[in-house]
Amino acid sequence: MGKSSKDKRDLYYRKAKEEGYRARSAYKLLQLNDNFHFLDDPSLKRVVDLCAAPGSWSQVLSRKLFEGSDQQDRRIVAVDLQTMSPIDHVTTLQADITHPRTLQRILQLFGDEPADLVISDGAPDVTGLHDLDEYVQQQLVMSALQLACCVLKPKGSFIAKVFRGRDIDLLYSQLACLFTHVTCAKPRSSRSTSLEAFVVCQGYQPPADWTPKLDPSQSVQQFFQHCLPNGKHIAPFMACGSLESFDSDATY
Amino acid sequence: MEYLTHYGPSLCVKLQGNLVYAGYGPFLHVHDLETGELINRCRIFRRNKIHGIAVNGEGALLLFGARSISIIGSKDASGCPDMSQDEKLLDEWIMSGQFSQTGDQTYLLTSYNKVLIRDLEGNVLATKGIDGEKSILYSGSITVFGPDKVLINAGTVMGGVLIWDLYEEELLHNLKGHEGSIFYVTISENGRYVASCSDDRSVRLWDLTTGDLLSVGWGHTARIWNLKFYDNSSKLVSVSEDCTCRVWKIVEDEESQASLEQKGVYEAHLTKNIWGVDVDSCGRKAITSGNDGRLKVIELDHPRIDNDEQSYTLQEIADQTGIIADKDEIIKGFHWFDFGLVAITSQGKIVLFESFNDTWTFLFTDDQFASYSSTHGISSDNVVVFANNKSDLLALKFDKDGKHVIAKTKMHVSDLTKTNNCMIRKESPTTFLVLLESPNPRENLVCMRFNLSTLEMEKTFSLKKPESFVSSCLEVYQHFLLVGSRFSTLAVFDLKKVECPAYLISKMTPGDTTTSIQFVEDLGDSQVFSVTNRDGYYTFIKIYLKGASRGDGKDYEIIQSNKIVRGFLEGAQFNAHGDYITHGFKSSLFYIYNETSCYEITSHICGGAHRQWKLCEDDKGSILVYIKASTLFFKRFNNSKTPETLCAGIHGREIRDITIRKQKKYKDGYLFCTGSEDTTIKLMHVNEQSGKMTNYWTQRKHVSGLQRCQFIKENLMISSSAREELFLWELNTEGDSRPYIALRQSLPVSSNLPDLRIMDFDVKFLGASQNFILATVYSDSTIKVWLYDSEQNTFTTIINGDYKTCCILNVFLTPICDQLFLAIAPTDGHLIFYNITEHIPFEIDEKSGELIDNDLDLSLMDLPDYDCRLEVHQSGIKCMSHVLEQGNELFIYTGGDDNALGITIAKLDAATGKLNARVLDFQPQAAASTMTSCSLISNGTKLLTTSVDQIVRLWDITENKLIKHSSEYTTIADTGCSDAVQTKDTRHLALIGGVGLSALRIDL
Ligand SMILES: C[S@@+](CC[C@H](N)C(=O)[O-])C[C@H]1O[C@@H](n2cnc3c(N)ncnc32)[C@H](O)[C@@H]1O
Repeated sequence: MGKSSKDKRDLYYRKAKEEGYRARSAYKLLQLNDNFHFLDDPSLKRVVDLCAAPGSWSQVLSRKLFEGSDQQDRRIVAVDLQTMSPIDHVTTLQADITHPRTLQRILQLFGDEPADLVISDGAPDVTGLHDLDEYVQQQLVMSALQLACCVLKPKGSFIAKVFRGRDIDLLYSQLACLFTHVTCAKPRSSRSTSLEAFVVCQGYQPPADWTPKLDPSQSVQQFFQHCLPNGKHIAPFMACGSLESFDSDATY
Repeated sequence: MEYLTHYGPSLCVKLQGNLVYAGYGPFLHVHDLETGELINRCRIFRRNKIHGIAVNGEGALLLFGARSISIIGSKDASGCPDMSQDEKLLDEWIMSGQFSQTGDQTYLLTSYNKVLIRDLEGNVLATKGIDGEKSILYSGSITVFGPDKVLINAGTVMGGVLIWDLYEEELLHNLKGHEGSIFYVTISENGRYVASCSDDRSVRLWDLTTGDLLSVGWGHTARIWNLKFYDNSSKLVSVSEDCTCRVWKIVEDEESQASLEQKGVYEAHLTKNIWGVDVDSCGRKAITSGNDGRLKVIELDHPRIDNDEQSYTLQEIADQTGIIADKDEIIKGFHWFDFGLVAITSQGKIVLFESFNDTWTFLFTDDQFASYSSTHGISSDNVVVFANNKSDLLALKFDKDGKHVIAKTKMHVSDLTKTNNCMIRKESPTTFLVLLESPNPRENLVCMRFNLSTLEMEKTFSLKKPESFVSSCLEVYQHFLLVGSRFSTLAVFDLKKVECPAYLISKMTPGDTTTSIQFVEDLGDSQVFSVTNRDGYYTFIKIYLKGASRGDGKDYEIIQSNKIVRGFLEGAQFNAHGDYITHGFKSSLFYIYNETSCYEITSHICGGAHRQWKLCEDDKGSILVYIKASTLFFKRFNNSKTPETLCAGIHGREIRDITIRKQKKYKDGYLFCTGSEDTTIKLMHVNEQSGKMTNYWTQRKHVSGLQRCQFIKENLMISSSAREELFLWELNTEGDSRPYIALRQSLPVSSNLPDLRIMDFDVKFLGASQNFILATVYSDSTIKVWLYDSEQNTFTTIINGDYKTCCILNVFLTPICDQLFLAIAPTDGHLIFYNITEHIPFEIDEKSGELIDNDLDLSLMDLPDYDCRLEVHQSGIKCMSHVLEQGNELFIYTGGDDNALGITIAKLDAATGKLNARVLDFQPQAAASTMTSCSLISNGTKLLTTSVDQIVRLWDITENKLIKHSSEYTTIADTGCSDAVQTKDTRHLALIGGVGLSALRIDL
């Protein structure tokens, strides 16, 4: 019994089909928004969707930012290694988010204006070697964070998928020295048997004396060497989505 | 808390002379390849796992994994239990490590494709890299050709293989062609080839000089993790997620074009992933290490695809012996002895094959045994018996070398009109029995006792044949004759009471031919036999042969039943180590399988199940003799002189639950069961002192990954999973050799939804009886209560209902005063209490809290409304323990997906009669990740918890507050379950499960 056959029976899968979303992941973003309301901010203008294929998060963004009103100055950029079929109001980039050039391309698209929100749902291929998988996932999050540090406006938000395995507290600590609020959020549409969760980081506030700059020759460690965390930090947990929403662990 | 043992995946293996080094989590195991003995287990890292091992000329080891590295001498590796003080931590993840040619420097390749050159003290001498791509690597290796010629082979996420020169810092090739991530890449010692493997299931061979793709090897059915060139770079082994190890030959054609040809396939591990492989210097043995923790020795000279067998046609035999074979004459029967083979043709010609010089001799012709005949033998005594369908018998006894016939008997059995089956079995050191059967159901079975040295017949017994009985196999124990039949029925005859009809044991399994019966052990009042059936089931039956009975009138009991992985089961027996060895056919193969340790010992392509075949033993091992397309084949399986596994391993995938039989010790420790994602349950033993674990049985009844398993009494265990599977198992520990476990009953299912999981269950026994009520909770929010009637062996639903629509993760039953409550914990983070007192046909004794049976009528009731619902956690309550104090205060300890731990108290409100609950203490950040298990220990004064953050925590709860007592890092990833038993006053033994299994000692 493969994973796919299970997904097919999933209510979120069916709901996504009905509502025209390309993946059930859309509900994860919507449920995160139910609690944090980052998409309901009327001044939200520029959003980066990292690791966006097949594109359901971008669809959510497109609907939230463009439906109803005519908003000339709004812009969504979606980046993925894979090709993505077009979505209204979304500029797609086929690129590796760990690659420094990707940042330049995003900044160009924004006309060098900072972004209000960076979201990332990136997930590498899972090998089954837990420590390697966690490491690669953390590297992906760190790459997304690097990008976020370079494009976010002060007080901007960053949301990224994480796996709550060993050493997750190190990541929380790193995030805590860049944002005023860091929460570990789990939407109800994400199965409780999976280690998946999302870090919701609000109030971007880099150290005053630090100007983040992506340098191809620098490692992630070197990039962050001026804003290293002191001490371990466990981000508070928040379950997202109302209790009335479908339970992804249940059998219907 | 003190670590005792760690079992789990082994990510890497390295052969060095006669030593085998294997990484097990943070531990290095050192084995002797010849004896298999574990020479040492040495802790190398504090937290990280060993991903790779390199050795220099002096035998020093470079060990690396994640951000850790260590260099240790061979003496320390083989003698010191803990070298973790030498661990060094780096900033970056290390993909590969290697010694320089002189052995006094190391090269470390990081995940960002940089190489650190370091001296043995760890000082970085230089950092090398190439410009351009900065993408993360998924794999890499380092090939040292000389002091200043080193090539770096890096596998990227994007399907590219980067080969670069370390000292020149120059990219030589970016080899493109694979799809998906590259999981391994290596260069052959002779510098000609690059081999790579990936997500796309192919092995690719490239020319190192030109970068041309030479060949693509397809065969693996899943991702490939590792490769190794051997035999002077003429061969390659690959290991994969598909659990096979494959051998590839690099074949060169006239134009020196090389291509990969698959030469062998070995199924070496369980369920998922072989991570590591190495080959010895002479290219004879490969060692693989897998996710199941097994270290498997593979004899590369005996691959499954081979021609290493002898075969003779009758014409070839005739040419050698001078007999004249008729056009349609065929070989009718044969038996193998230490000296060789004795065979008979369809013309009654008897020939003999001497194996030491491969020659055939003609003995004589007996026309009476032409056309129909059957051949049987007793190998240990060089006796062969031919029988024909007219009830004639011919017995021959040979001398030690098979040179002379030293006894001969020929007779006609007049009691039978016809014979269609003859079976023989050694009865005692001096006698054997022959059993003849007539196709006529009314004729008796004839059993004759013969003298083993003179072949004289000593006695005849006439036994009444049971109805619709067609015999298929035979066992003799003392004066009892056990005969198996075509329809999974067993008949027991007492040769001292031949007038009594046989005692019949019917329908032990779904029903196919019984293929073997073997005496296993004597329990005093009863005897244990192992019975195999062609359909793949094996059962162990305890039979009260001497007429005692188990008290309920039954004269036998099935104490072990199981089904083999696949194929037909033709026989089984215990080997000298006490491992249960099965054999049979699957698709086109004959196999021999170690059922205790779950690995295939050998298999051979023979075209599938044959009419005429025999597996015979001799002093060198066993030999399969069979006839295919009228050709006689001999395939020898030599007993391996070296062990087949160095470490047997455990489950192939995550362990989901552990239950220790706490009620009673077994030998020098405890029995316990583990339920795994791989769908099996293992019955194991843990030594109380050393933490050493031994596997007895792997039960395959579940078809979906396990949710829960729990001992509910000393001899009863329940397991549950998806597809509504819930099984009640009975344990038998009467024997000295091993415990047995058999399925007693399955819970009825209500649907055919494959995803409907029984998440948890709890039981409450009726007084001291074996009857109990069982509460089950489901992933669709259903709650059911059942009554189990032990005598009838039935489950009856007594309560049915549901909570809401969310999945219920935990349940327990508890009396409070004279009421019975059912408490559940679903994914919505609440605790919900149902008072089910009026909904069960029993009363509750206020003092003892016991259920009292007042013979009330059974009826199906709806689940009542809940008494109380309390929000404790934000999301799923993953684990729950409880204790009742003074009969009226219920304390519940819960751990959640929200990283929190809580204590809740529930009491009956005297005024309303309802249960009231409130949270006493709550620790929102009890762990950095999901809580996965909690158990009360030390008489309820401490709570032991596990979390996916890999920290085992001990909490003091005496003040109704959660006070952290101590914590310990566990080497088990995806920490998901635990159980603990008090072994002495202040001492506990805890087992922690997840990706692997470990034992901890807790002294308080
Ligand atoms: C879970 S999917 C994202 C689903 C998406 N949010 C949606 O709602 O449709 C993860 C994606 O991460 C992408 N990814 C992984 N590593 C990446 C990298 N280094 N750069 C860009 N994308 C990457 C994968 O290609 C994959 O499409």
